Amino acid sequence: MAVARSMRRTSPTSLVLAALLAFGFICFLLSPSTPSAAAAATSQQRQNDAAEHPLSPPTKPFLTSQPVRSDGYRAAPPVVQYDLNNLTSTSTSAANGERILILTPLARFFPEYWNNLEKLTYPHELISLGFIAPKTKDGNAAVAALEKAISRTQSGPIDDRFASISILRQDFDPPILSQDEKVRHQMAAQKERRESMSRARNSLVFTTLGPSTSWVLWLDADIIETPPTLIQDLTRHDQPVIVPNCFQRYYDSKERKWDVRPYDYNSWVDSEEAQALAANMGPDEILLEGYAELPTYRTLMAYLPDFAALDPHRMVGLDGVGGTALMVKADVHRDGAMFPAFPFYHLVETEGFAKMARRLGYAVFGLPDYFVYHYNE
Amino acid sequence: MNRHYASPKGTAAYPRGSSAFLNGFQPRSQPALRRRRQLFQRLILLGGVSLLLVIFIFPSWRAAILPALSLGLFHPAADLHLQTVRYYDLSEVQGTERGWERGERVLMLTPLRDASSHLPMFFSHLRNLTYPHNLIDLAFLVSDSRDDTLNMLTEMLQELQNDSDPKMAFGEISVIQKDFGQKVQQDVESRHTFQAQANRRKLMAQARNWLLSATLRPTHSWVYWRDADVETAPFTILEDLMRHNKDVIVPNVWRPLPDWLGGEQPYDLNSWQESETALALADTLDEDAVIVEGYAEYATWRPHLAYLRDPYGDPDMEMELDGIGGVSILAKAKVFRSGVHFPAFSFEKHAETEGFGKMAKRMKYSVIGLPHYVIWHLYEPSLDDLRHMEEMKQEQEALEREEKERQLAAQKEGQMKSQNVAAAKGSDEGPAAQPLKDAGKGSSNK
Repeated sequence: MAVARSMRRTSPTSLVLAALLAFGFICFLLSPSTPSAAAAATSQQRQNDAAEHPLSPPTKPFLTSQPVRSDGYRAAPPVVQYDLNNLTSTSTSAANGERILILTPLARFFPEYWNNLEKLTYPHELISLGFIAPKTKDGNAAVAALEKAISRTQSGPIDDRFASISILRQDFDPPILSQDEKVRHQMAAQKERRESMSRARNSLVFTTLGPSTSWVLWLDADIIETPPTLIQDLTRHDQPVIVPNCFQRYYDSKERKWDVRPYDYNSWVDSEEAQALAANMGPDEILLEGYAELPTYRTLMAYLPDFAALDPHRMVGLDGVGGTALMVKADVHRDGAMFPAFPFYHLVETEGFAKMARRLGYAVFGLPDYFVYHYNE
Repeated sequence: MNRHYASPKGTAAYPRGSSAFLNGFQPRSQPALRRRRQLFQRLILLGGVSLLLVIFIFPSWRAAILPALSLGLFHPAADLHLQTVRYYDLSEVQGTERGWERGERVLMLTPLRDASSHLPMFFSHLRNLTYPHNLIDLAFLVSDSRDDTLNMLTEMLQELQNDSDPKMAFGEISVIQKDFGQKVQQDVESRHTFQAQANRRKLMAQARNWLLSATLRPTHSWVYWRDADVETAPFTILEDLMRHNKDVIVPNVWRPLPDWLGGEQPYDLNSWQESETALALADTLDEDAVIVEGYAEYATWRPHLAYLRDPYGDPDMEMELDGIGGVSILAKAKVFRSGVHFPAFSFEKHAETEGFGKMAKRMKYSVIGLPHYVIWHLYEPSLDDLRHMEEMKQEQEALEREEKERQLAAQKEGQMKSQNVAAAKGSDEGPAAQPLKDAGKGSSNK
C-alpha cells in the first residue's frame, strides 16, 4: 500500500541525488560574492606574513592579541631572524612575490592619488605604504583625509587591502608654510625647501624600510594618474634606479583641447657647462635645474619623448633624477644611498641621490616614453 | 495476488494496495504527510552532516564557508586580529638627557662575524645594562660567518627573552643574516694592514648600513652601536653617554696589555679632530681614496681622542671630534633619520665610522668624544705578540728550572760535588727541546 509508494520515492539513488542538490544549493546561496578561494588564500598569506608582536618592522601588519607568560607577565617579544641573503629584486617581481614599499611625502591629499593607488594591479598583499606629513595645519588636514581613505580601503574587500600602512609626522617644520605654486618655485627658496624635503624623505625611508622589502617606489602625493601596471612596468627593467617621465595634463585654450606638457625637469644627463659651473661654486652652493639665471645645458628627459613613435620600454642613462615617481631597489637604500640634505657635489635631494647611488656603483636610468601625470593646480 | 499479476491493463505498475488511487482523487492520508516530513528531516540531517564533514575535512573550505555562514555580519575571523595601520609622531622621539625616565627607546646594534667566542662575554654585558631592558631593541647582523655564531646567538637570545626575571627581557630582537662575500681575513694580523683597510672599511660601512636600515624604527630616540669584543665597560654606559645630550658621542677606547707591553694601550685611533695637514693631504688625493688613521702612509698630525686620556681626569670632559671610531657610538636616532650614515664610498676622503663623523658634522650635528671616560677593548695578541710571549714563557721556565736545579744542587752540594758541575753544564746547553715538559713537572712537584 502506501508503504510501497514511499519506498519508491526514497530509493537510495534519488536520496543521494537530492542530498547533492541540496548541498550545492546551500553552497550557491552562501558563497560570498568575491572569489572565495582566492580571497581565502591571500588572507591566509596575510596572516602568515604578520608579525607576532607590535615591536616589529612597520612593513608588516601585526597580531593584535598578545601571548601572556605563565606568571602573568606579557610575554617578551620573540627573537626574529631575517635572512636577507634570500631577498631578491628581479624583473619578475610579482611572480617572485617581491614586496614593495610605496613612500609618499604628503603635503596635500588628493583623492585622485588614492584612487590611482587602489587601481594598481600589483598584488596588494605585497604592497606596504609609508607617508610622512609635516605637523602643520595643512599636514593635519592631509592626514585626516588620508586616514579616512585608508579606513575605507582597509575594511573593504580583502584583495584590495594593502599589507600595511605607516603614517609618520615630521619632527621639523617645513621652511615655507605656503604651498602656493609661485612661491614654491622661487629659486632662492628652492634650496631650503629641497633640503627640508630631503630630511623628510630620509626620515621616511630609513624608518619604514623593512627587512623583507625588495623595492621602494617613491610616489609624490600629487601624482594622480599612472598606468595601473606601474610597478610591474618599472621593475621589469631590473635596474637599481629607474624613473618614468612626469608630465601634466592641461587644457590648451588656443587649440581648445586637452594636451600634455612636461612637469618634472630634475631627470637629466649632465653637461660640460654644468660641470664647469659646479667647479666654480662654493662648497655650500647648489646647481638647480629649470632656471634662466643658471643655464646648465643639460639634456632633460622631459624633452626626450618623440610623440610620433613612442616606445615605453626605451631606456636612457641619467645623472640626475626627479622624485615625483622613482623606483629604487631596496638594496640601493640599504647600501646608504639617501637624499642629501646638504650640497653633495653641488646637488641636493633626488638629484643628489642619483649622484650618491652612482658613487656607490649603481646605474641610473630613465624611461622617456613612459608617462605618469602630475596634478594641475 | 495472482489476479494482480494477471491483470491485462498493466496495473502491476501500481502498488497492490493502492485501491484509493485507482478509485479516483481523495485527500492525502495523514501517514503519507508524516512520512514526507520524515523524509525532509532525513534529507536536511544528511545535508547538514555532509556539510559539517566537508568543513572539518578541508581547511580551505572552512575558510571559504565560515565567513559566508555569518552572512557578512562579521569580518573573517582571521582579519579581525591584524593591525595594518601604524601612526608615529617623530617629534616625540627626539632624545633627551634623561631618556630612561621618559621611556625613550634605544636601538642597540652589533655587527658580528665569526664572533662565537665573544658572545658569552657580550651577553654578560647585556644582562648587566642598567638602562631599562624593555626600552632597548637589539639588532644583530651576522655576516660571512664560518663558525656557529648564528645558532649560538639565537639560542642565547631566546634564553635571555625567556628569563624568569621579567625585567631581563629586551624589546624587539632582530637577527639579520647577510653575506657580503668578504674575502679579507678578519684575524688581527691581516685586518690591520694598510692596503686592506680601505676596502675593508667600505665593506664594514655597507654592513652597518644594512643593519641600521633594516632595524631602525620610527619609535627609536637613540641608536647605540656596540662591538661584541668590548671586554670592560660601565653598566651605566647608556645613561652616562645620554646625559651629555649630544647628537653623536663616543667614549675613549683602550685595551689592556700584558705587563711586558706596558700594561695598557690606546685602541681606537679613529676618533680624532681634523687638522690642517690632513685637510691639505685630502685635497691632493684621488676622488676614491680613503684616509685611514694610524698608518705611517698618511701622516695627518691629528689630535686623537685616545692619546688625550688622563686616568685621573674628569670623565665628563668633552672634546669636539670630526672622525669617530665604531666600538661604542651613542647617537640620536634623528641623526640617522635625517640621512647621515656610514659612507661605503669615499666621502670627503673618509669611509665608515670616520665618514659618519664627517657627514654628521656636515649636517651640523654635534660630534663629541669623552677623553677620560674609558671602555676597554678585548686584547687579542698579534702573531708577533704570541711569538714574543712564547719566548718569554720559555725564558721564564728556563729561569725557574735553573733556580730549582740550583736549589737541588745546594742540597746535594755537600754529598756529590762532581755530579753537580755536570748537571749545571747540561742545563746551560740543553735549550728549547724539553723545557716545557720539565717546567711542568717542576711546578707540579711544588
